[in-house]
Amino acid sequence: MITKKVSKKDIRKLLGTWNQECNVIVPSRVDGVVGMAAWDNQDISFLDWYRNTVIPPKSCFLPKSEVMMSFKKNENGYNLEVPTNEHWQVIFGVRPCDARANAIIDHVFAVTYDDYYYISKRRNTLLVGLSCTNPYDSCFCTSSNIDPTESEYVDLMFTDIGDDFVIEDFTGGGKALLNMSNTLKKVTKADIDKIKEVKAASVSKIKKTVDTENADRKLGSLFNDTDYWERISAKCISCGICTFLCPTCFCFDINDEMIRKQGARYRGWDSCSFRSYTRMPMENPREEKWRRVRQRVCHKFEFFPMNLGINACVGCGRCIRSCPVNWDITQVIAGLPAEAGIKSGK
Amino acid sequence: MEKELRDQAAKLLEEGTVDYIVGFASGTLKHTTTPLITGDKDETSSLVINPFISNNLATYALEISGRLGIVAKGCDSRSIVSLIQDKQITRQDIVILGIPCSGLIDLKKVEKLAGKERDEIDEVVVVADKVVITVGSEKQEVPAAAVLFDHCIGCELQIPQEYDFLIQGPAVEIRNSEASREKIKELKQMSPDQRWSYWKQQFNRCIRCYACRQVCPACFCERCFVEESQPRWVSPVSQWQDNLIFQAIRAIHVAGRCTDCGECERVCPVDIPLRSLSKEMYDLVGEMFNYKSGMNAGAPPLMTAYELTEVESLIR
Amino acid sequence: MKPKKEDQPRIVGFLCKWCSYAGADLAGTSRKKYPSNLTVLKVPCSGRIDPLFVLKGLRLGFDGVLVSGCHPGDCHYQTGNYRARRRIAVTKKFLEYLGIPEQRVQASWVSASEGTKFAQVVEDVVENVRAIGPSNLFNDEGK
Repeated sequence: MITKKVSKKDIRKLLGTWNQECNVIVPSRVDGVVGMAAWDNQDISFLDWYRNTVIPPKSCFLPKSEVMMSFKKNENGYNLEVPTNEHWQVIFGVRPCDARANAIIDHVFAVTYDDYYYISKRRNTLLVGLSCTNPYDSCFCTSSNIDPTESEYVDLMFTDIGDDFVIEDFTGGGKALLNMSNTLKKVTKADIDKIKEVKAASVSKIKKTVDTENADRKLGSLFNDTDYWERISAKCISCGICTFLCPTCFCFDINDEMIRKQGARYRGWDSCSFRSYTRMPMENPREEKWRRVRQRVCHKFEFFPMNLGINACVGCGRCIRSCPVNWDITQVIAGLPAEAGIKSGK
Repeated sequence: MEKELRDQAAKLLEEGTVDYIVGFASGTLKHTTTPLITGDKDETSSLVINPFISNNLATYALEISGRLGIVAKGCDSRSIVSLIQDKQITRQDIVILGIPCSGLIDLKKVEKLAGKERDEIDEVVVVADKVVITVGSEKQEVPAAAVLFDHCIGCELQIPQEYDFLIQGPAVEIRNSEASREKIKELKQMSPDQRWSYWKQQFNRCIRCYACRQVCPACFCERCFVEESQPRWVSPVSQWQDNLIFQAIRAIHVAGRCTDCGECERVCPVDIPLRSLSKEMYDLVGEMFNYKSGMNAGAPPLMTAYELTEVESLIR
Repeated sequence: MKPKKEDQPRIVGFLCKWCSYAGADLAGTSRKKYPSNLTVLKVPCSGRIDPLFVLKGLRLGFDGVLVSGCHPGDCHYQTGNYRARRRIAVTKKFLEYLGIPEQRVQASWVSASEGTKFAQVVEDVVENVRAIGPSNLFNDEGK
């Protein structure tokens, strides 16, 4: 519900209030790379330059590496220690695409299976969304039915209307955050009209589009077309950028490290693009590159829709922006040959 | 240049001299290109030559079976030669379509100069030794050297030495080998402790996507040491220690094969200055063994050859 | 076995089977005294020593690494040590550039008959490494 707004110059005060109660995480440029990092209680310059992060916010719940338990040898055996995550955090500036992506990963770690490490971070986190008013040329969220200014997967949603951010609250947690602050103002009729303008303008800025309708069925019928997949995958170099930077990719690997009788069990990202993927149980059933490329495309656009009724691609465009060879998933989806009996397009 | 290249490529496919052409086409995003791998002569009309053809296509020579016609800039041609030296490919299977190169544009430098991100920049045009950057109604003219990749400023081979066809065109020389080593010089002025902390910090953000290794034509091992599990040399999970070991060993393993094409640094999604490693190695083998990789297809690879007396001062 | 205090610094040595390892053996059988800080690993030839071994040694907490093989011209496999020499040279220089003090990575030629030289080499290496203190290179907290 939209009830409040906050002046841009009061954002520091607002974040400061939250920062007293929990850790505030904001878009930050660390060593030149944009990711989500702890706020220094001061700098809000990201409001000027922030478009989206390079490292997706999934890393707040599923970091590129984390300790699952540490162990140390003593006289009786081993001392085990499992990390706990009791502190609350607020992530400010989550884009609607990434908010949807978090909800998709929730299915894996919090719905179909209770993953302690994921949940212990996720349940202590409030997400504050930020409308996307300056998307990249590689963004295509509208094709995944995402409005760059709307999200149902956040606790609060901020939309820039010029001098102020209009705030929409969705959850009790979001309301609690608003109640903590005394820097908020009431929204006016004019603000509501302004929002509509901003929303329309933002949607029209998304220039890249792809028709994903029936993609699952088309992919299903193409599954065994080796020639097709070989052609599509030819230029892929099998690196892990697209999967690691994908806000909905969640594969991980676990490894024990021990040096001189102490060490830890680590979990970190793994990628189906790698030839060495799943070699630990036996071997990778997707030895050839085309099988690995097919897996990524089908996982997003065929298997996820089949299992959960939703595309696992949110159109954030990271995989296109960062790809070393400009392997563009929208081109592939748009170029899927129509299957007999399916009407293509709308 | 493009017309000549397209005609030549189409001819090669038509005559059946090659099975595939590997070149560049326009990318789907502004100021980008994408590798074009095709056996269809009609598709050769989308081949392009422009200052954004960054990829080192020699990588594909390792992977694609059949006879290939590869579009190669100077550095790429050196990688091809290096692969021939290492007996990874045979000269007869490759038709090198050499193109002269005046240097490639480093979009990160352009972004910095323009204060805008890639997609917000309307035009980047090279005019001889100048580059004009257009953002909206604002035009900014800068010396090309200010926006070319560091490795292009230090380029030692603008026109391929080894080729089957050489596409005619200009190769404006913009060489400044000092400037090309700027970052390395800064590092060398630090104390060993400071340097180690520097690298520690850089590799802390490595996500171990292996893009650096995958784009590298010199990295052709069937199985990389990081993927060995018996014994496990480095952790597969990102930790700065193992990230650093991976990259340090990679640099040593490709010593004498690295042609300073700069691809490792360009593709890094988290901007680790990898060329500051590879270029230093490139210069080290130059100094110690007077070796330039990929310059002579008949020469033995650096690490398989030796002189009876050399570098003895480093050993007790 | 717990590392004893007097065993600091800890050095790992990769010794070629035909010369340096035999040299170490000779040092022992002829009762030469040299510091016990060295952990010896036998390799078939100095040409077998991958630069990875050196970094892995440091990663595992050794304070220094010694690689040693046959004198040039004496390789059991004719040319293994010549190839090793290039690799060692590149590795040493490159690790220095990364910020690893040169004392931590050392190389020597020791033949099967040079028991005395072997003892001397170990003594020198240990002294060099001790002078720059224990290695914190791969510690999380360290530098």
